[in-house]
Amino acid sequence: MALNFKKETFREDYTYSNSDAAIKRFPFPFPEDQYMYSVNIEPHTKGKQGTVCEFTFDIDEHYVAECLDKKITLEQDPGRYKALPHMMDAQWDFVELTMEALAQDYPEHFSLKKQGLIWTWENKPLGIKDTFTFGDTSTLATEPFDYIGRQLQGDFVLLDHRDETLYADAGIVTSQADWSLAFNVGMSWREWHGPVPRATELGVMDRALKYLLNLQIGSPVRRLNWTMTVNPRLDTSPENYPHWGGERNTVNAENIGDLIHLRVELQTLFRLPRSNAIVFSIRCYLISLKDIATYPRWAKRLHRVQKTMHPDLIEYKGMTKFHPMMVDWLAKFDDGETLAIGTQPE
Amino acid sequence: MEHGYWIKSKPVYNALVWHEKATAHLIIAKNQGVLVALKLFQQRQPTQPVTLLYAQDGTDYAKTLNKVVPAGLDVLNSEQDLLVSLKNIMPNMRMGLRVYVAGSEGFIWSVAEVLKTFGVEDADIMKELTDTLARTIYCVHCKAITHNITTNIGKCSGCERMLFVRDHFSRHLGAYMGLMIDAESPGELPEIEEIYP
Amino acid sequence: MSMINVKVAAIEQVTPLVKHFTFVKEDGSSLPAFSGGSHVVVSIDIGGRVHRNPYSLMGSPMENEAYHISVRRQENSRGGSVFMHENVTVGMPLKITYPMNLFSLAKKGRKHILIAGGIGITPFMSQIADLKRMGANYELHYAFRSPEHGAFAAQLKESCGDHLHCYIDSNATRLDLEALLSDQPLGTHVYVCGPSPMVVATLETARNLGWPENHIHSEQFLSPPIGEPFKIQLARSNIEIQVSAEMSMLEAIEAAGVEADFLCRGGVCGRCELDVLETDGALLHNDHFLTDSEKASCKKIMPCVSRAKGERLMLDL
Repeated sequence: MALNFKKETFREDYTYSNSDAAIKRFPFPFPEDQYMYSVNIEPHTKGKQGTVCEFTFDIDEHYVAECLDKKITLEQDPGRYKALPHMMDAQWDFVELTMEALAQDYPEHFSLKKQGLIWTWENKPLGIKDTFTFGDTSTLATEPFDYIGRQLQGDFVLLDHRDETLYADAGIVTSQADWSLAFNVGMSWREWHGPVPRATELGVMDRALKYLLNLQIGSPVRRLNWTMTVNPRLDTSPENYPHWGGERNTVNAENIGDLIHLRVELQTLFRLPRSNAIVFSIRCYLISLKDIATYPRWAKRLHRVQKTMHPDLIEYKGMTKFHPMMVDWLAKFDDGETLAIGTQPE
Repeated sequence: MEHGYWIKSKPVYNALVWHEKATAHLIIAKNQGVLVALKLFQQRQPTQPVTLLYAQDGTDYAKTLNKVVPAGLDVLNSEQDLLVSLKNIMPNMRMGLRVYVAGSEGFIWSVAEVLKTFGVEDADIMKELTDTLARTIYCVHCKAITHNITTNIGKCSGCERMLFVRDHFSRHLGAYMGLMIDAESPGELPEIEEIYP
Repeated sequence: MSMINVKVAAIEQVTPLVKHFTFVKEDGSSLPAFSGGSHVVVSIDIGGRVHRNPYSLMGSPMENEAYHISVRRQENSRGGSVFMHENVTVGMPLKITYPMNLFSLAKKGRKHILIAGGIGITPFMSQIADLKRMGANYELHYAFRSPEHGAFAAQLKESCGDHLHCYIDSNATRLDLEALLSDQPLGTHVYVCGPSPMVVATLETARNLGWPENHIHSEQFLSPPIGEPFKIQLARSNIEIQVSAEMSMLEAIEAAGVEADFLCRGGVCGRCELDVLETDGALLHNDHFLTDSEKASCKKIMPCVSRAKGERLMLDL
């Protein structure tokens, strides 16, 4: 089925919105009334038709607009892309993984033709068609990871596996929840997870690392993570914090339903075959509180989750300023009905 | 933004001790770092060859050093000269060399940056912090590096924003992350205190 | 665990003790690409009992039409290698795991010293393809008993040229580890795969010369040792299982129909680790994964290669 790509913005006038279908398929992350930080990793197997996990990489109605927003961010700050020299094999592995998946899952939008190592890639929504030699960087205008990373929604980090840990040695990061690639590049697992509260002491990160070091080719995994963002802004980077930090002051009881967005990250991890590196893919979904409330079940659940949120997490996720207002706003949807476990909207 | 968070990627510096197993030792010290080097020789005199590069400020330790490191001592007048000298000797070094660095944090990571270009990784270098706890900060907004920050909040040498110094350290940049403190409420600054004397 | 259905496309006797097996996908499609130093676990059914053994992939990682492994016949083993030599024939279907790499090249290394003993040459065959592709600086030091036991030596001479150094016991040429490892440029990594004494000697020599631990790499898959029979209790499954002398604990658990995680089955990767709930303390740890203090604590065990002695061993499974 061909997608209708929307014309919309993720900055300044913020014209981003979700269609009814997009709301219905939103990856709501709270199966229970209480939230607890956990590893919650599961196999990234093919999900039901229409869900965000139906395909290896999810392409949706925001695809074209998101790629344009990514282009603007990269033009303003080329430091959002970085790959250390020993990651070239991983770059090509990434090209193969993503091009093959997109061409197979969305044949009406993407195609990949191979004649030996001569590959022709066509991206119809973005109007791109290029022929290159797989493995020969001189046949593309940019580095291969940069080339295809710009044609995907979400952020990608390539992790090198050495010394019994993973190093974030390459990335294309333009829609992040407050972390800096330019600063973090080259860091080991333990260094870049330093900021996670309450998690390190529980040994969650060590367990997750042990699990990922054994991640196998052909058996990718996924997990959901979430935070809250004022306005549908993809680029909530520390780099541009001076531009977006002040937006937190604009939230009031009248506009909170439109301004506050639940930001869900579908994180997927794939072992790459030739480089033995791991791709960490972070795909961001945004939905306003108002749109969440179109499904009473979600509004009730979100109310209970937020009402019982640990204060450390409220601060860690940058919600301090508007959290009480948000809980109040959500309270009016919650009649106290018992909700069965599950993330479904109805 | 999580100002309240204490981010634990800060490197840990230990007291230098000789590696028992080595084919050669290289000590690189600046200012008070040289006392640390002398303390090493009080532990014992290793049987393997020792090279010592020392950038001195005021006090002249050269005489004392000459006694403990008769061969292989190179006294330099500045950090710049020391780094040049280091670049000259590294191509002759072989596996089995153990490297020790003592000095301020800024010095330690300038040396580490040079060593990396010769295949010596951060994990292979023993480091001891001396002189000062002052920090080098990287402004995440304009990417400028500002040295010798001794306070919880410091002014960026590039964009002049007031930066909160996070305990988040990048070995790649040799600096802590600096993040605009008053982005949400311009001009409202918490009390500035010296915490990295 | 995802498995790949392959069939045996060719078998070649390489030396009096080593056979080279070529696998292709049963449905004729391409096999997954892999990285130099990877292995697969091959499942074979010996009289109704499933043996799963890890073997290094030898071919070039760039070629994905076929996988290549080599098996040395081990007379005093539990029968896996003898079965591969005598009963596996061309055309036979087999199940293998996806490739997995516990012996990868250090991509930031400036020079790579590869040391192989006997059948330990196999993981280096694919690593050399990667090193050559990357234009890396490397040396391959290959020791074997006598000329007829030097598997792939001629082929290696052709592809590696001056990078290859052979040491043949019967010609009294020996590898001087001390000399080799005491004169290498900074940023060199050493890799060893071969019989246990060679691996130990290499690790010790490098450490004694002051090589940092993360520049020293080894791979030594263990076969589950034959031992005395013992009993285990699985707490969550609520059953008791007898582990026979020539069976591993993991195999006994699988034979009892209980699903257990595994990857390398050689005591290296750590995936099959189980929590020990109760024991009278006589655990025979044979793996390379747990630290000495973990082994001493008697709280964890790797059922792929380790065993127990005594009356009571209750596992969290």
